[in-house]
Amino acid sequence: MDNMLEMYLYETNTLLEQLDELLIEAEKNKDFTTNDVNEIFRSMHTIKGSSAMMEFSTLMEIAHHIEDLFFYIRENGMDSLDESHKNDLFNLMFQSTDALRSEVEKIENDEPLSTNIDPIVANINSFLEKISATGDGSSENAAADAKTEENTGVIPPADEHKIAVINQELAGCPESEMPYFIRIHFEQGSGMEHLRAFMIVTALKDIELEFEFYPEDVETNGDSSESIVENGFHIALSSQADVEKALHIIKEQNSVETYEVFENALVKHEQQKTPAPVSTPNNHNEPQQTSAPEESPAQKSAPAPAAHNSAPVKQSLISVNLSKLDSLVAIVGEIVITESMVTSSPDLQNLKLDNFTKSARQLRKLTDDLQDIAMSLRMVPVSGTFQKMNRIVRDMKKKLNKDVRLTIVGENTEVDKTIVDSIGDPIMHIVRNSMDHGIEEHVEDRITAGKDPQGEIVLSAAHTGSEVIISISDDGQGMDPEKILAKAERNGILTKPASEYSQKEILALLMLPGFSTNEEVTEFSGRGVGMDVVKKNVESVGGTITITSELGKGSCTTLKIPLTMAIADGMEVSVGKSMFTIPIANIRQSFKTQREEVILDASGNEIIKCLDEFYPIIRVHELYNIETEVTDIEDGILIWVEAADKSYCLFVDDLLGEQQVVVKPLPSFLSNFNIKNSGISGCTILGDGNISLILDIRSLYAAFYNQY
Amino acid sequence: MSADTVKNTTLNGTLEEGMPVSTERFLTFSSNDLNIGVSTNYVIEIITNHTITMLPLVPDYVKGIINLRGQIIPIIDIRLRMGKPSIDYTSSTCIIVLNINSVQIGIIVDAVQQVMDIDQSKISPVPVENQQELISGMVSSANSSVILFLDCEQLVETY
Repeated sequence: MDNMLEMYLYETNTLLEQLDELLIEAEKNKDFTTNDVNEIFRSMHTIKGSSAMMEFSTLMEIAHHIEDLFFYIRENGMDSLDESHKNDLFNLMFQSTDALRSEVEKIENDEPLSTNIDPIVANINSFLEKISATGDGSSENAAADAKTEENTGVIPPADEHKIAVINQELAGCPESEMPYFIRIHFEQGSGMEHLRAFMIVTALKDIELEFEFYPEDVETNGDSSESIVENGFHIALSSQADVEKALHIIKEQNSVETYEVFENALVKHEQQKTPAPVSTPNNHNEPQQTSAPEESPAQKSAPAPAAHNSAPVKQSLISVNLSKLDSLVAIVGEIVITESMVTSSPDLQNLKLDNFTKSARQLRKLTDDLQDIAMSLRMVPVSGTFQKMNRIVRDMKKKLNKDVRLTIVGENTEVDKTIVDSIGDPIMHIVRNSMDHGIEEHVEDRITAGKDPQGEIVLSAAHTGSEVIISISDDGQGMDPEKILAKAERNGILTKPASEYSQKEILALLMLPGFSTNEEVTEFSGRGVGMDVVKKNVESVGGTITITSELGKGSCTTLKIPLTMAIADGMEVSVGKSMFTIPIANIRQSFKTQREEVILDASGNEIIKCLDEFYPIIRVHELYNIETEVTDIEDGILIWVEAADKSYCLFVDDLLGEQQVVVKPLPSFLSNFNIKNSGISGCTILGDGNISLILDIRSLYAAFYNQY
Repeated sequence: MSADTVKNTTLNGTLEEGMPVSTERFLTFSSNDLNIGVSTNYVIEIITNHTITMLPLVPDYVKGIINLRGQIIPIIDIRLRMGKPSIDYTSSTCIIVLNINSVQIGIIVDAVQQVMDIDQSKISPVPVENQQELISGMVSSANSSVILFLDCEQLVETY
């Protein structure tokens, strides 16, 4: 059940995302293409079907009504709608997808679904009524037809006049040129027969059988289930072999109660008749109606080749549990380490082993490749996150009445999955800020400044070695350093005289808690909790954030984020026999010092002067009680480190070198001993299999002062 | 060996049927001249000669962590844990890696002795006045020596 739910959520979310993209694209062109309409129709249908199966009735209802709406649009074509209707339609669609998404979120969070969906349903219905009322005569007819179809809803109108014949001749079995029929009855009271029938159809399409099925509209028409209950669901096949294959599938379906196979008595007569209703439109003068009969065969035949084409696409993507990937990556890391343990084994030293060296080199190459592939598995493109910004820009454009376009660059840049998940919110915040504060309030302002009346926000991503750089820039009014300073002063967050602030420092003020440049709090931004939260989020994944801005020309926010959190750049240092890793990001400088330069304070703590400021010295061997021969300040080395507001010097024996390390958490058992507060954040396994502890510069400082 | 297998299956059999378990298999080791047994259900493996990376600012019985094929496992010295004096590690010193309610931990013992089946009904509680931390019961074995049972759950309890 959980598995089904997971699949359902995955599928529905994917569909909704696709739908969003499609809507954005369509709105840009101010029109739905036939393809779009079909796509929406199909998506809604799938959502409806799967929601019904999972018994999420709210979702099903909404999807069902949208499906109805698009059924009408599909029948009549987009041309039947005028400009204002189209606008309404876009808004309505955005509303509805939002409603669907919020319901899906509720399912994800295990909350009860909302019971009152009447407003949205009423909206859809009234829109449908509006457009069907204003449509010309023929489309009204069509609508009426569509309605009758839903009411009687047995078989598309094109075949209507034959129903009688069929009923007489085959007792509920439809006509077809196919020589074999399978009649399926579902278990009584199983409900949703048309969907169950459609599931069989899909299953049969999957094995690429050629077949026809009746009623043909099981996919689109809920009322067809009545006829299925009454007459059974019919599948027509062309050969005995196909029948066997189909039966195989049908037997696997859950709710099938009985099925029977029989030959089509009318085959010979039908061969002349059947092509006719498909190609000739009805005698009634309903030009639009042609689309209906054409649609159904198209639907029938299209999925077959489509399935053929899309099959490899489908199979090239599988969703895998993240924890499985993690253990794969862990094992690969192990292999790499073990490999170097084997090939550089001390037993092999001074031996001349040509063949061994050759194979070892081969092995090294293979393990390197393996590691690359394993690491790339967790990488996903940022496009998903970027595409969501389209929607935000679109919504805010409407609300704020600003004309802005969003340009996306490098959306295929790949980043670790956990990082993609955690940068969504920060990016959204920044985009909102750009929309709200960045882009000028009035178009006139832009024109007088000699800019394109349409504002532009550029969202770009690019790789640089071990980092990905995401920048969000706008060509708006830029930030006024004077205003920022004045505001900061008012809010009392300045720490030195206003005149001493550099441009860079002023912009950094924006990211302090309790700062908001907008005078008024708006719906989208300006609560003063914006940028500092963004900064915190970015830092939590090990990234950095910088803002640059030029008054009158726009501003640019740049996020630098490591490709993966599991790997960090570290400096290996030794203290006695122990090894420690200091994150490179925390190191400012490392240097040797003279005894004379060290100053003692009143309680005997050592202090050293770097660049005109005084910093305490923490001797790691003393703090951690490690035996070492290097106790003289002149023999060892000082590393000037910095984290948050703490800055001090660590005294260690020696630098061993810089290295990329895979961060591993410490065993949970050790949290009994409060290890996190003793300055150690994790550990890493070195190439030779030894463990190096990763120092946490901030908590190490606290540990040092707690000791005394 | 074959006798062991038979016993083992009966053990499993009784477990599955929810009948009172008659025998359980124990790994015995010596530490500070005591014979201590630990249920094999907890034992993952016995390793020797592993480099232990020391951890700072922890109680002395936490010897550090080891890298066991990529897994980081904390190591405690069972002697020090029971408040006994430490001795130098010898060639017979080894680490028993245990998995106690999915917490992995290694214990350093003086020497590993044997695996034996012990009738659970014969396990008697430790006399109240002699009650000791980490020991959940005792039994006298065939050669008239006494085996104490390690309370594994207590070993990994949070404080």
